[in-house]
Amino acid sequence: MPIILENVSFFYSRNTPLETAALKDVNLRIEKGEFVGILGEKGAGKSTLIKLFNGLLRPDSGKVTVDGLAPSSKEVKRRVGMVFQQAADQLFCRTVYEEIAFGPLNFGYTRKETEERVFEALDAVSFDRSMLLRDPFSLSGGEMQRVALAGALALRPDYLVLDEPITGLDPAGKKEILDTLRKIKDRGTAIITVTHNLKGFFPLLERIVLIQKGRISYQGSRKEYLETENVPLPPVASMMRELKVRGVPVNPAVFTVEEALEEILKVKSMIEKEKAEK
Amino acid sequence: MIRFENVSYNYPDGTPALRNINMGIKKGEYIGIIGKNGSGKSTLSLHLNGLLRPQKGKVMVRGMDTGDFSKLQGIRKIVGIVFQNPETQFVGRTVEEDLAFGPENLCLPPMEIRRRVDRALAETGLEKYRYHSPKTLSGGQGQCVALAGVLAMEPECLVFDEVTSMLDPDSGKAVLERVKRLHEKGKTIVYITHNLEELHAADRIIVMDRGRIVLEGKPENVLSDPSLRDLGLTPPSLIELAEHLKNHGVAVPWEKTSSPSNFAEEICRLFLKM
Repeated sequence: MPIILENVSFFYSRNTPLETAALKDVNLRIEKGEFVGILGEKGAGKSTLIKLFNGLLRPDSGKVTVDGLAPSSKEVKRRVGMVFQQAADQLFCRTVYEEIAFGPLNFGYTRKETEERVFEALDAVSFDRSMLLRDPFSLSGGEMQRVALAGALALRPDYLVLDEPITGLDPAGKKEILDTLRKIKDRGTAIITVTHNLKGFFPLLERIVLIQKGRISYQGSRKEYLETENVPLPPVASMMRELKVRGVPVNPAVFTVEEALEEILKVKSMIEKEKAEK
Repeated sequence: MIRFENVSYNYPDGTPALRNINMGIKKGEYIGIIGKNGSGKSTLSLHLNGLLRPQKGKVMVRGMDTGDFSKLQGIRKIVGIVFQNPETQFVGRTVEEDLAFGPENLCLPPMEIRRRVDRALAETGLEKYRYHSPKTLSGGQGQCVALAGVLAMEPECLVFDEVTSMLDPDSGKAVLERVKRLHEKGKTIVYITHNLEELHAADRIIVMDRGRIVLEGKPENVLSDPSLRDLGLTPPSLIELAEHLKNHGVAVPWEKTSSPSNFAEEICRLFLKM
């Protein structure tokens, strides 16, 4: 069973002169095990959208269900885990162990069951047990983000929802998180992430949802996305698009340096061949 | 204008943050500093105006030693720093008050403070937020307030420490454009970042690793240097592509790697010439 949004609209400052529509008639379906990227400019409604998934916000009209359940139910809070942008803002315990155990204990799991979940989550984010007694605030940005991820994973969610999980991290920290997410996804957890970082996330995304001014303006596969007009693209893909527009017969639907190189060299050898024939 | 002589600095726990740094920054130069977390970039930036003082060696700003306490105010008139999280730098209840804080501390006359605040507001396009609380602004606008606060001090040298890393791409680009314009107006710029894509316009790039300067030079040489990856840094993808193409006899000149459209235009030109 998936997360389903039907004709969902959401307003800030409803029924006041400041009323603004953050989301308008959004229809979206997210299946178990998917890796979905939610893209869009700032203020487009991305963060509002994901807060509807576990009942942090409730729609003003339309309906949200998670596996058929209402998002206000406790079970949905367990099934949909959330990690926000600045991990440091979400950590508050004295040790990494307490931090990760907080969710399961709050849900009433026994000490033993909690411990099992903490170890499992620790493993999922590739930390060894020596981490458990560390002070979360003594860790690097990437490590703190992994602790926040582990905290969400300890509830064994079916959906992991992330808001800009690699913003503000250095390249090594970014790679740490992307590798971790890949692993979590391979274990069968759906990952839904809001991101501006196309370059980093693109290789991982199976489906892309683009939000513009509160409406979904595109949703589909990565390949179709690269062929869609007027969507934000990573630099290499955007360059390939420009080549295509200028009449160079390349396949613009690529995003890695290697693929682009291959495409450009293909055209080059084509030109060389034509010239040789003349 | 600024000179580091054998500068070393250890964190309180004893880990070396800077190891024997020697470097100079000329007036009007635009310098990029890159390096992964913990490489010493920010520690270095805090030495530029005496927020940190070297434990060994010395830092001279226009002939003034940052270790000399009586010179600090003079040094801070010359070098201003903008940090990553603007929220942690706000002191005023309104944007206007926030900008006046620096000049007030320089004990300037009220008319002069007014002039500087107005000018900083105009330069950053913040006039309409003059009476807003800085805390209610967006990330990009907040970063502008932080920048305006430093501009109101009218420093000759501006240091930017990862100012775009928490911003969305559009706000980031806007901040970067502002930095370029300030450089064109003659300001000395020190720009610290993780994002190598932002350093195309720099005059010189310094790469740091474990407290040392490990690579230094013009952007065209540094950004295409094969050792960047070993240092935990990702080269800009268009520059990487240009390097690969060069090995296959398609030479895209450095200036054309600055944007996707320039790059594509150059490829078209090269193909037509074939």
